Amino acid sequence: MQSIVHVVLAGLSNGMFIWLVASGLTLIFGVLGVLNFAHGSFYMLGAYVSFSLVRALSPHFYLAMLFGPLVVCLAGWAVERWFLRAVYRLELPYQLLLTFAFVLIFDNLVKIVWGAGALHPPPGLGPLEGSVEILGRKFPIYSLFVIAVGPLVALALWALLERTWIGRIVRAAASDREMAAALGVRVPALFTGVFIFGTWLGAVGGALAVPYVGVLTPGMGESIIIEAFIVAVLGGLGSLKGAFLGALVIGVLNAFGTRFFPAFDMALIFLLMAAVLLVRPRGLFGVARS
Amino acid sequence: MSPAAGSRRGARALSWAAAAALVALPLLSGKFATYLGVRVALLAIFGTGYNLLLGRTGLLSFGHGGFYAAGAYALGLCSLHLTAHPLPGLALALAAGAAAALVVGFFCIRASEVYFSMLTLAFGMLIFAVVWNAREITGGDDGLVGVMRAPIALGPLRLDIAGERAFYLLAVALLAGSLWLAHRLRRSPFGLTLAGIRENPVRAEFAGVPVRRYRLAAFVISGAYAGLAGGLEVLLESNARPTMAHWTHSAEPILVSLLGGLHSLLGPAVGSLAFVALREVVQRFTENWMLAFGVVLLVIILGFRGGIVGAVEAGLRARRAGRAAP
Amino acid sequence: MARKRVSRRRFLELAGKGSILAAAASMFPRGVFAAPPSIKGPIKIGYGTVLSGTLAGYGEFHKMGALMAQDEINAKGGIAGQKVELEIRDATMKPDDAIKTARYFVDSWGADFLAGIDSSGQALALGPVMQQLDKVLIVTHAATEKLTEEWVFKKGVRQIFRICNATYHDGNAAAYVAKDLPAMRWATISPKYEYGFTCWKMFQDTLGKLKPGTTFQTESFAPAGTTDFRSHINTILDARPEGLYSTEWGGELITFVKQAAEAGLFEKVKHVLFPVGAAMDVLEGLGKEMPDDVWISGRYYFRYPDNQTNNEWVARFHKRWNHYPAYVSETAYSSLYALKAAVEKAGSKDTKPVIQALEGMELDTPAGRRLFRKEDHQAIYDVPWGKTKADPRYPIKIMGEQKLVPASITFARPPFEGPGTRPPF
Repeated sequence: MQSIVHVVLAGLSNGMFIWLVASGLTLIFGVLGVLNFAHGSFYMLGAYVSFSLVRALSPHFYLAMLFGPLVVCLAGWAVERWFLRAVYRLELPYQLLLTFAFVLIFDNLVKIVWGAGALHPPPGLGPLEGSVEILGRKFPIYSLFVIAVGPLVALALWALLERTWIGRIVRAAASDREMAAALGVRVPALFTGVFIFGTWLGAVGGALAVPYVGVLTPGMGESIIIEAFIVAVLGGLGSLKGAFLGALVIGVLNAFGTRFFPAFDMALIFLLMAAVLLVRPRGLFGVARS
Repeated sequence: MSPAAGSRRGARALSWAAAAALVALPLLSGKFATYLGVRVALLAIFGTGYNLLLGRTGLLSFGHGGFYAAGAYALGLCSLHLTAHPLPGLALALAAGAAAALVVGFFCIRASEVYFSMLTLAFGMLIFAVVWNAREITGGDDGLVGVMRAPIALGPLRLDIAGERAFYLLAVALLAGSLWLAHRLRRSPFGLTLAGIRENPVRAEFAGVPVRRYRLAAFVISGAYAGLAGGLEVLLESNARPTMAHWTHSAEPILVSLLGGLHSLLGPAVGSLAFVALREVVQRFTENWMLAFGVVLLVIILGFRGGIVGAVEAGLRARRAGRAAP
Repeated sequence: MARKRVSRRRFLELAGKGSILAAAASMFPRGVFAAPPSIKGPIKIGYGTVLSGTLAGYGEFHKMGALMAQDEINAKGGIAGQKVELEIRDATMKPDDAIKTARYFVDSWGADFLAGIDSSGQALALGPVMQQLDKVLIVTHAATEKLTEEWVFKKGVRQIFRICNATYHDGNAAAYVAKDLPAMRWATISPKYEYGFTCWKMFQDTLGKLKPGTTFQTESFAPAGTTDFRSHINTILDARPEGLYSTEWGGELITFVKQAAEAGLFEKVKHVLFPVGAAMDVLEGLGKEMPDDVWISGRYYFRYPDNQTNNEWVARFHKRWNHYPAYVSETAYSSLYALKAAVEKAGSKDTKPVIQALEGMELDTPAGRRLFRKEDHQAIYDVPWGKTKADPRYPIKIMGEQKLVPASITFARPPFEGPGTRPPF
């Protein structure tokens, strides 16, 4: 029992990270129709910039976590405004390759700016340091915090999209951009805004990962982007609800797999995705795009 | 003979001469260039087959590394346990690539767009995980090592391919064969039907074309090409490794197809040459080759959407138009 | 290009026999002493290491050591009077990139010697390539025992040497440390690839024989790139072992240690062995977060041996780079000095005489006296094991209580089954 609870907790906290990254990915896909490979790079940049701010603003970790991702939004803005906009109408391979080019560029830039070696956040992050005892076994408070942040972000996103006028415009543009444009929505500006917001979500994931993973390396975005892709696809691309559920399932399943079926741990998430897509070709909550 | 036909014949002779010169160049410029030439040829075979799927059919697969690995391990295991003769090994590699593609394709082909890409990614990574974990057979992450390049013996004929040059010529010959076959396929009713499916699958379906079967056939053919390229790489590097099946390797044929030109026969081959040469040149000047390479990719995508071949063709067309005008 | 060099060399050989010898020698007197006639032109050393991706930090540490050796050797007259030219290239962690790098160095750049190489897969893939290229390669990081056992000893690839210690140290020597600890039930969290499997197996085989009755109850292997070890840690906590053995390394070891500390693993499991825990990136990365009383070791430890050579080197290194030397810095540095010694001993930079010079050669290096074993070309030298403790003089944890298991005992597999099992096997 003790073990199962802890495995679930570990899975939940890991799943919430993937959710934070996947939420931006699937939001961008849902509205802009672009699959953004460079989203993992925004995660990485979020981690690095926040890390530098932690050093500069120490000990105000939360300030760093707030401002770090905002800085990364500038990069997101530049990518959308100057590059991505040119390929909206092109086929999928061009979009993927363009964003892949940014993966290479950002990985290398990080190496130039912060050095090739791994960086390590200092211990001691205020009130969230340390562990609490759950059923006789320690569990880090910070992971509990992450488990709480995930659903809060989900709730906020839902409220934003379903309950505000911005959300209504975004949804309108997502379902039919010509119609939205005809109705006077400035679609390009809206797209830029959504992309920046998606970037921000990915960067927040990265900032939160700083104390969690404990190691920052150039290239750290590359493994999480695949997990985020899987989660987004599993849930149905463009569906935030699906991504949230997908992240929970993947996180917990991975933790259980590692604990109880270690022979399959490298294949588990791919098996799950293949199985889901074979039964539901557009993921759990996916809808056909026009 | 019309002057146009004459000039076309002249252009054709010129391009054959250019191709011959290109093939001869590495042989004249030393061992390392020859070695790189082999790598270009292998990547070109991989990419040419891949582009039959992507360029002709419009399907973006992220799992072809898996078929490449299937071919590589087929040849490696054949060479280490059955016979070191390269021909049965290469035949097996081709068959393994095709067979793996058939199985994977059977499941993936009904998905479309991004979902097709993600399904193929999943299957490719499953092959990666299997190869990585089946240590007794595959050697795990150490890979299969020590595959030797035995001579090709055909009755009294013995073709020694141990040397760099001989192997280079073999690779180029196989690339030429691959290109020829791809050319024939593109021109065949089969190839034209594929192009029709790419343009409008719904209409093709209405016209009575069994769309899925056609797509599956293209998928299997490209898998066979991948298997062949994988087998050849084992002969070149004398080892097979799990990372061949990793998605990052599956991305390479996409890269070279786009780089060279998605809609031309020679696109992937030209892209392979550019890809290998570019990295080689950049790496001599800077450690930051990833940055340079990323920037080049951006320029290609934003400036030369038809890839290198497309840009050259557009340039030639513009010149011709300029000459035709008074 | 290559052919030209050979013909020049042959010309000099011929010249050396004739009366032009004196003239030829007097034309090129450089450095402390004039070059023997068969050594002409700079000594070109191609160094391949990982400079991109998540492990690029290792490449940087390699670079520091190699550059330092180059500059010091050149400042003191070079190798046999000839200047050392070093080129460092990104060989990544992939075997095909390592092969391409090696071929570039030899066939295009004109390298006389190669050094570096980080992953075991790369080292194994290079076996037949080095035989074909026929240049000496000194491996400075890759640790697989198969390299020296299979390629060098069994298949006779004499061109490959390894200057760093190998899985023997991580598996066998660890067992010698473990046998004196009051722990009978062991478990592992190790990398899910050959390195992790092999070391754990060696550890079990050796400890099982050194201390019959020891049980190895739980193993949890983490795939490369793991950033969340919580499930692995839970596996271990459930099993309640007395000892934990882990060959996690680099950034993953750091992540693992942090998460294990949060989960209270080090309070529940008293005896912990990290065979590569003394790596500088780990010590620096964890700083004071490295728990006390954990047994660590590596391929070199900057405070051992406590002698003038090492201490002065560490001081010079720290002054130049503002880091204490990592083990790859030491192996990179020493690999250049090993080549220097071999070339000067052989009086030639040709492959064959240099191999002969290296075989059985003893060399004083910062890590202490190294012996290149003739049979398998593995460098035999001692690296201590030690229990971590804080020290006010250092920002990192250092070894307190130390224990030395001589390499001469453990660098064979299994180490105590009579002479037949040691190289020559």
